[in-house]
Amino acid sequence: MSGAVARLALVGNPNSGKTALFNQLTGSRQKVANYTGVTVERKEGRMRGPSGREYAVLDLPGAYSLHPASLDEAITRDLCRGFYPGEAAPDALICVIDATNLRLHLRFALEVRELGKPMIVALNMVDAARRRGIEIDVPALEKALGVPVVETVAVQRNGAKALVERIDGLVPQLASQPLQQPVEAGEHHAQVRAILEAAVRMPSRTGKIDDTLDRWLLHPVYGLLTLAVVMFLIFQAVYAWATPLMDGIEAGFGWLGEFAAAKLPEGPLSSLLVDGIIAGVGGVIVFLPQILILFFFILALEESGYLPRAAFLLDRMMASAGLSGRSFIPLLSSFACAVPGIMSTRSIQDPRDRLATILVAPLMTCSARLPVYALLIGAFIPAKTVWGVFNQQGLVLFALYVAGILSALMMSWTMKKFRRDKSEHPLMLELPSYRLPNPRDLAVGLYERAMIFLKRVGGIILALTILLWFLLSFPGAPENATMPAIDYSFAGQIGHAMAVIFAPLGFNWQICIALIPGMGAREVAVSSLATIYALSAADDDAAIQALTPVISDGWTLATGLSLMVWFIYAPMCISTLATIRRETNSWKQMAFATVYLFAAAYLAALVTYQVAKALGAG
Amino acid sequence: MDRGMLLQYLIIALAVLVSAWVVLKKQFPGVVRRLRGALALWLVKPAHSQRLQEWGRRLAPPPANGGGACGGCSSCDTKAPKQH
Repeated sequence: MSGAVARLALVGNPNSGKTALFNQLTGSRQKVANYTGVTVERKEGRMRGPSGREYAVLDLPGAYSLHPASLDEAITRDLCRGFYPGEAAPDALICVIDATNLRLHLRFALEVRELGKPMIVALNMVDAARRRGIEIDVPALEKALGVPVVETVAVQRNGAKALVERIDGLVPQLASQPLQQPVEAGEHHAQVRAILEAAVRMPSRTGKIDDTLDRWLLHPVYGLLTLAVVMFLIFQAVYAWATPLMDGIEAGFGWLGEFAAAKLPEGPLSSLLVDGIIAGVGGVIVFLPQILILFFFILALEESGYLPRAAFLLDRMMASAGLSGRSFIPLLSSFACAVPGIMSTRSIQDPRDRLATILVAPLMTCSARLPVYALLIGAFIPAKTVWGVFNQQGLVLFALYVAGILSALMMSWTMKKFRRDKSEHPLMLELPSYRLPNPRDLAVGLYERAMIFLKRVGGIILALTILLWFLLSFPGAPENATMPAIDYSFAGQIGHAMAVIFAPLGFNWQICIALIPGMGAREVAVSSLATIYALSAADDDAAIQALTPVISDGWTLATGLSLMVWFIYAPMCISTLATIRRETNSWKQMAFATVYLFAAAYLAALVTYQVAKALGAG
Repeated sequence: MDRGMLLQYLIIALAVLVSAWVVLKKQFPGVVRRLRGALALWLVKPAHSQRLQEWGRRLAPPPANGGGACGGCSSCDTKAPKQH
C-alpha cells in the first residue's frame, strides 16, 4: 500500500451503481440516476473501516471497455493504470457489476482483472436480480473470476456493509494477488459464457414488465405523446402546488422587513438590511418551492429509467437537427444547470456532435431562470384556468421551456448546414430496467437541490445584492437634486447609459441595471430588481411591498414579454461561459457562443417588444 | 458625524468588502488564485520579517486537485471520512 491511506477506485460499466455505492461508502451525496454517463470525472471521498484503517475512495466514470471511445472512458483507463496526471495509481480496484446484467458487466470485469491490480468485485443490485429470478452462486462466481466477490445493494442503508468488512479484511493482503494474462476480446465473450454457465441460473423470461412498458413508451406515436403529456403535467404541477408555499414565504419576508424597519434606527444600515438584503434575498428565496417541485419530477424520472427511453424517442428528431441521441442526457442535465450539462458532453464520442451540444446547452432552461420566469409570469399572466383544467401560468412556463428546446434544435440545425461533414451517427444506448424511485434517494436529491439553491442565495446572490445596494445608494443626491437620489448613484448612472442601447427592447434603466449582476447568477436579476424598486420607493411601506405588483403596475406587457424572451437566449452566466472555454479548450468557441447568444437574445427581444407594442400591449 | 452613524458606515464598508471578495472568489477563482500566489511569493521573501513570511505561507493557495471542475454551483463539499 502506498502511504497510510489506501486508495480504492470504483470502476465498472455505466449505470452499474458505482456512485450510489460511493455515496454509501463515503457518506457523500453525489448525483445518482438510472441512466448511463452521470459521472464524467473522478470524485474522491473518504471512509474508515471497522479496523480503524482509513481509505480514499475514487468514483470513476463508467466505461464499457478499457479501450476508450470517449473522454470519460479515457479518464477511467488512465486512472486505473496510474497514468492520470497528478494522481497516484489506486492500491486496489472495486469493480462494480450489475447482477441483473451480468453478460455485459462481467466482460468489463475480466478486462479490469487483466490490469493485474488487487481487485474485489462488488455484485451490485442483487435484490433486483433475486426479484427477477436470477440465481447467482457467489462462491462459484468467485472461483471462476479468481477474485473476491461481495454482494451489495448500494441503494439500501447498510447495503455495502459486507463490502466494507471484506475490504478492511482483504486490502492488506490483496497486493499478493496473481497477475492475470491479457486475452483476446473474443475470448472475453467465451469466458463470460463459461462463467455464466458455471455460476448463474437465469429464469426463462426476464424483464416482462420492461417489455410491456417499452411496447407503449417506445412506440413512435404513443411514446412521443406520453413524453409530451408527462412534461406538460410537470409544469402544471409547478404552478398548481407551489402557490400556497410561495405565499407563506413572501408573507414571512414581508413581516421580517416590517419588523426590521420598525426596530432599526433610520440610516444606511437599516436601508442595507431592509431594501438590500431582505428585499433582495427574499425576492429570490420565494421561488424555492417551484424549483423543488420541478426537481422532484426530474429526479423521479431519472430514477425510474424512463429518461434513456426519452433519448431513444427523440433520437431521430435530434439527428435531423444536427445532434445525436447521446446529446439528450447532457441537454437534460442543463435543465438543472448548464455547467454539469456541458461537462457531461464528455460522454459524446464524436467531437463534432460534442461541440454542437456544448454550444446549444445554454439554451436549455436552467433552474436559475425559473425565478425570473416565475416573477414575470406572476406579474403579467393572469392566474386563470384555460379550457376548464389548465393553469394559464403553467402553460406559459411550459411554452418558455419549449421555446428554449426548439431554439437549441434550430441552432444546431443551422450549425449543421455550415459544416462539411453532414453524416449522422447511430445511437448506441443501454436501456436500464424500470424501477420505482427510491424515496430516500428522492429526498436526498431534493435536499441537495435545496441546499445548492440556499447556498447560492447565502453566497453569491447575497454578495451581489449587497454590492448592488452599495452602487445604488452611493453617492447620494447633490443638494440641488431634481430627480430621486437613486438616479445620481453609480448604478443609476450606468443604468441610464445602458438604457439607450436597450430602449428598443422596452427595457427601462432599472432592468438594464439588473442585467449586470445577473451575469453572476441569473436569479440575482430578481433580487436586483427588488432592491432597486425598494430603494426607489417613496416610503417604508412601499419599500417592503412584494416585487410582483410593483412591476406589473410599472411595466407594460410588451416589456415583460420582451424580458422573458431575452432570458431564453442571453448567456447571462459567467460560470457557463468559463465552462465552455474549459471544455472546448478554445477562447474562439467561447466567444462564438457569447456573441451568438447575445445577438439572438437582442433580436428576439426586439421583435417581441415591437410586435407586442404594435398589437397594443405597449 | 456621530459615533452611531460612523459605526453604521464601518459595518457597511466591511459588508461591501466581504461581498466583493466572495464575488471575486466565486466568479474569478483563477484570478484570485494567481493573485494569492503572487502576493504569497512576495511575502515569503527572506528579506521580509518572520511574521510577514508566516502570513505569506498562510495566504498561499492550496494545491489544485482533480480537474478543477467547479462551475460555481456551490454543490462541492469536503468531508471527514465516514466511519463504518
